[in-house]
Amino acid sequence: MSTITLDTLRKEFDSGDERIVAVDDIDLEIRDGEFLVLVGPSGCGKTTTLRCVAGLEDVTSGTIRFGDDDVTDLRARERDVAMVFQNYALYPHMNVRKNIGFGLKLSTQQSSADIDRQVEEVAEMLGIEDLLGQKPKELSGGQQQRVALGRAIIRDPEAFLMDEPLSNLDAKLRSQMRTELQTLQHDLDVTTVYVTHDQTEAMAMGDRIAVMNDGTLQQVGTAEAVYRSPVNEFVADFIGSPSINLFDATVDGNRLDGPGDFGYRLADTTPVEGYESVRVGVRPEDIELVADGIDIETKVLEPMGNENYLYADLGGHELTARVASTARPSPGDVVSFTFDEDALYLFDPETGEALKTKTEGERPGEDGHVEEVVG
Amino acid sequence: MATQDTASQATPTARDRLRFVRQSVSHRLPNAGEGLVGYLFLLPALLVFTVFLGFPILYTLYLSFFRFEGVSNETVFWFDLGFFSYELTRIADLTFVGLNNYTALLSDSLFHQALFNTTFILLVQVPLMVALALVFAVALNASFVRFKGVFRTVLALPVSANLVAYSTVFLLMMQDAGLVNYVLTSVGLPAIPWLTSSFWSRMTIVGAVTWRWTGYNMIILLAGLQTVPQQLYEAAEIDGASRFEKFRYVTIPQLRPVLLFVVVTSTIGTFKLFSEPVIINGGGAPLDSTITIVQYIYQTAFIDFRLGYASALTYVLIAVVSLLSAVQLNVGGEGDA
Repeated sequence: MSTITLDTLRKEFDSGDERIVAVDDIDLEIRDGEFLVLVGPSGCGKTTTLRCVAGLEDVTSGTIRFGDDDVTDLRARERDVAMVFQNYALYPHMNVRKNIGFGLKLSTQQSSADIDRQVEEVAEMLGIEDLLGQKPKELSGGQQQRVALGRAIIRDPEAFLMDEPLSNLDAKLRSQMRTELQTLQHDLDVTTVYVTHDQTEAMAMGDRIAVMNDGTLQQVGTAEAVYRSPVNEFVADFIGSPSINLFDATVDGNRLDGPGDFGYRLADTTPVEGYESVRVGVRPEDIELVADGIDIETKVLEPMGNENYLYADLGGHELTARVASTARPSPGDVVSFTFDEDALYLFDPETGEALKTKTEGERPGEDGHVEEVVG
Repeated sequence: MATQDTASQATPTARDRLRFVRQSVSHRLPNAGEGLVGYLFLLPALLVFTVFLGFPILYTLYLSFFRFEGVSNETVFWFDLGFFSYELTRIADLTFVGLNNYTALLSDSLFHQALFNTTFILLVQVPLMVALALVFAVALNASFVRFKGVFRTVLALPVSANLVAYSTVFLLMMQDAGLVNYVLTSVGLPAIPWLTSSFWSRMTIVGAVTWRWTGYNMIILLAGLQTVPQQLYEAAEIDGASRFEKFRYVTIPQLRPVLLFVVVTSTIGTFKLFSEPVIINGGGAPLDSTITIVQYIYQTAFIDFRLGYASALTYVLIAVVSLLSAVQLNVGGEGDA
């Protein structure tokens, strides 16, 4: 168990005569025992970063340290990490017992009896002790997932590396395994790097979340920090479900004018000083239906039971709102909405950098929500 | 839906009309005979199979219980319709001998010799060739090897060589004063009687067959290697496996069905060995030491004209090969790699 430090980590791939930069000079520290989630859209370099940490990819430049040891040039088998792959990569010709015990058999001098005993302990911990004699193809997806986890746990490694381990499971099993994984990681207290493209999973599981895009690290922080105080439009857009509403607005003194009927008077104009136009962001849950406000035309209403998702047209832009389950406008109905200035996000239209986020005005204490801001 | 109505009134293109015709034809075709249509498609292949494979296979079995006494022209069946006549003649004059052909095998020393030679060549050649093919396949599959395409082609090329031509080249190279011995003596080694000693002449055949078929089997193994999921190697690497351990615990188990295929087909191929020994025998090798089963069958059937006995030999060969393949499939086929 140790801290993992990435120092200007860079990974380029050759593709014909082009060099593709998959990971672009990333600096990141994963603390001892921390559950860090790398999240981003596909092709953002999160898996490549993880594979560099595992030692399955050579790095182009930069260093990787486990604690104080520089492991950049060590092979995967010398790094003492355990990895869970998306499709589990269980050995098809070995039964569950052998699959779990294989790492110990290869990398330690322990007797078969000792290994067997540990395999049984781990299997019991994961509730798969009845499956030890079976081959992977006889198991369900969830069971295979547990075997893959068992194979990682038994090694008692420096770090767990997980590459979208839940994405092959159905929704119900996925949320169940999510909780189990967190409990397990908490009990074992092993530094964990977890890759996913699913921001809900990232928010739910990570002690901290590292949002990546285009090979660069956008922001690292707790779920609340990246949600409330995104450093840029990309992070604001990527985190949160349904996604934040984003559109252009022109600045006229203290007034913002956007598509359709959108007009908003700012009480505090400091964030927009010197800007002629800005990108406006409003989260769907901050939209309030009122009698007199900004008019939108209802397109679709999705009842969720406890609330309704309202999809409406705002001057050609689709606006999403989470409204009370009692609010039931029909398609075509014109309704009005407003929102608190506290809840408003503003971004630089050129760089996408955040000018104003939600935290401002209601920051709950100074316990470090904005932890590291990169890029 | 007014817009759709006007759309459907547009003039159909030639392609559309073709589709309409096809649809109306397929509507009119009888539906009841759907099963029969399938057999109709099978018919040409079945006919060819029956005439050129089914009949000979059964007739050979039939022949193996008879002694062949020459070609016959005795009429079995005839009819004459005036404008068309047909006459079926017996194929051969045969005398029923029961199992005599099979019992004779037991005391036929040349058959025993042929069986021994074939088995000997098999035991040396198949393991040697499969091992070589595996080594080449693994080497070519390794990421660091360059010019893979060139190596692959060069290694696989011998399989396209003409049997007689390449056997003749081997014959020339292996002469007492041939190229191989020239090289051996020029580096100070003794010359080897490649064609005249009974041991070495078998080795010459082993060499020739290995040269010809290694590349072919390598291609099959290479294809098998490329289906092994890369993630298994990565999982093994993370589990701490060395290069050899990955080969031992991932490659071999994953490749087992392909290896089995290669071993079984090579075994069958070696049992069918014919051209190489014939030509190398022709070059002066001691006949008894290199004669193979198929060569012996050929001699019995087409030089001595003992078709009944040759048929019995053929069926014994089939039995031996089937048994061996069954054993191999049983031993190598368990599990589910």
